[in-house]
Amino acid sequence: MVDLNKLRDKAKEVLIRDDVRRLIGWKRGTYGFESAPVVLKDASEVDILIWDATCVQNLASLLTLEEKPPVPRGQEPDTRKVAVMVKGCDSRAIIQQLIEKAYERDDVIVIGLPCRGVVDRRKARELFGDLAVPAEAKIDAEKVTIDIGGDFKTVERKDVVMDKCLRCRYPNPLVSDTMMDSEIEKFADDDFADVEEFEKKSPDDKWKHFDEQFDKCIRCYSCRNVCPMCYCVECLVTKLRPQWTRRSTDISENTAYHIQRAWHLAGRCIECMECQRVCPVDIPLMTLNRKMTHDVKEMFEYEPGVDPEAPPLLASYKPNDPEDYIM
Amino acid sequence: MGDFKFAKEKLTDVLSALKDFKVFAPVKTDGVVRFQEVADPAQVSLDYSNSNVPPKELMFPETETLFRYRLGGTDLDVANPAEGPKRVIFGIRPCDAQAFSIVDNLYGWDFPDPYFQGRRANTVLVGLACADPCANCFCPSVGGSPASEDNVDAMMFDLGDTIYLKGLTDRGEEIASAISGAVEAAGDAEKKAAAGQAEEASGKIQRSIDTSGIPEKLPSLYDHPFWEQFSDRCLGCGICTFLCPTCHCFDIQDEVEQFDCRRARMWDTCMFSEYSLHTSGHNPRPTRKERTRNRISHKYSYFPTKFDVIACVGCGRCINYCPVNIDILDILEKSKQAEAKEEQTA
Repeated sequence: MVDLNKLRDKAKEVLIRDDVRRLIGWKRGTYGFESAPVVLKDASEVDILIWDATCVQNLASLLTLEEKPPVPRGQEPDTRKVAVMVKGCDSRAIIQQLIEKAYERDDVIVIGLPCRGVVDRRKARELFGDLAVPAEAKIDAEKVTIDIGGDFKTVERKDVVMDKCLRCRYPNPLVSDTMMDSEIEKFADDDFADVEEFEKKSPDDKWKHFDEQFDKCIRCYSCRNVCPMCYCVECLVTKLRPQWTRRSTDISENTAYHIQRAWHLAGRCIECMECQRVCPVDIPLMTLNRKMTHDVKEMFEYEPGVDPEAPPLLASYKPNDPEDYIM
Repeated sequence: MGDFKFAKEKLTDVLSALKDFKVFAPVKTDGVVRFQEVADPAQVSLDYSNSNVPPKELMFPETETLFRYRLGGTDLDVANPAEGPKRVIFGIRPCDAQAFSIVDNLYGWDFPDPYFQGRRANTVLVGLACADPCANCFCPSVGGSPASEDNVDAMMFDLGDTIYLKGLTDRGEEIASAISGAVEAAGDAEKKAAAGQAEEASGKIQRSIDTSGIPEKLPSLYDHPFWEQFSDRCLGCGICTFLCPTCHCFDIQDEVEQFDCRRARMWDTCMFSEYSLHTSGHNPRPTRKERTRNRISHKYSYFPTKFDVIACVGCGRCINYCPVNIDILDILEKSKQAEAKEEQTA
């Protein structure tokens, strides 16, 4: 159990440093089962920070999302460090960003939080309905206790956490400068049963599935923007000159967008599931990503976001790499 | 005006009776509710709170062809959305209907928009009063109510086993006469039940905002740092605007397929950096701070200053779907506080 006072003291200690400009953590949301990310710039604000099973967002995305417009002539850009709180899964995004040299290791201070799982708002809403007040959630190895304005509800962990937590192999951050709790023993494994299940479908059924799903897409790009690995300064799908993907929504362009995105995440997706969480029309985006992850693992024995010293998959080569997919 | 009722199980008969109209109604697929043209009346579900995507897509489609042409040719084949059979949006929520009335101001302003207005003129709105508003609904704060009859042609109340339908306009009467074979006259019991439900639903609204003074004061917060409390965690995606029933911005693009071309317009959003990007490369809204400020200021200051109505209907979608809990009510409350602080220090 993380001591919240200790967490806030650590945040304060970090924020008063001269070489730190901001800290990204979570605060209580305004309603419902999810917290809100918060960016603190002053040590006096740390009491707003929280940590519990509602802290679902992957904050590594906010590291690469930060816009840095040109500074006025004569001024220097602020290059001081950013501190960020991470769960085990989120930490893989940091590692993958480091592998890709999105920033240098010295640019970030990583505050690690061992984690047993976070609440899936869709599952929680099915169980408890809509909430106009923010819930709190405590999790242990078996149960999740949700505090809805003083009304405590206890449910089986497996019924309310996100799917990724049910197959979590990295409950402890794989990179951190400071850990806020002792490590949790690994409690789950990933057998890719979901991928194998989907693969059983006929090509026609698969195509029909994706047609139905991508037809719903409104191209809000929330899946791209929330993705810690989608941080290109100019994205291929929104580039205007030349224009590779039309802005119009139809099954062809929507499918092109989603296939491009999945393809660009091959060997890079760290499976934080944020894309699927944020989709306003419930497209199961992880279906494609999980297949990629599975293939990359099977074919190239590669797992993104676990070893900061490893080269990126697409920049690595082994003499025994399979090549039977090359025509 | 007529008052009618029909058993809920007869809903398919009622929808079938509207065969001379093009009927759009809420359809639930894997838990996602969206308005669709009804191919099979059995698909329609009136058991929903707010559709994921607002029915604005029926007046202002995600993508629509304005006209077609051939490369090198001089003929334009202009689309005419007013053509075709009359349309019915069946089961629209009062807030989503109110949004059409708000957007009418803009699309009927300096240049009347034939596409939006054509669809508007050709569409009858059959409302569905809310019995169970969502947790983040706040329509009474912005001039609506869960059973507001102001912006629809007829209104339905779901009374459990029975649907009570109330004609409100001549166009509503047209619907009533079309379905007359499938409905019966309603009595005082239904009227009373509907009135009771409307009052009960208003009592279930949990969130609110006092909007007085906000339109006048937001411009004075233009450079205030409080926007960063929200924009610092903004992802810059299009959820809040695309799912907003009053957001009405579009982009226009020419799409060329060999010699066959079309000019189309599609939803655009001020939350994207490309939205305000100039050809020169300069962007007057360079970061999400300026874009967040614009979204809120447009709804709660610029639009009401110009058209005397707040461009928000309190449907709660931007709150419900924001992945990082950027809550418009929170922003508005903080905008009031931010001002108070300024006055103190001044």
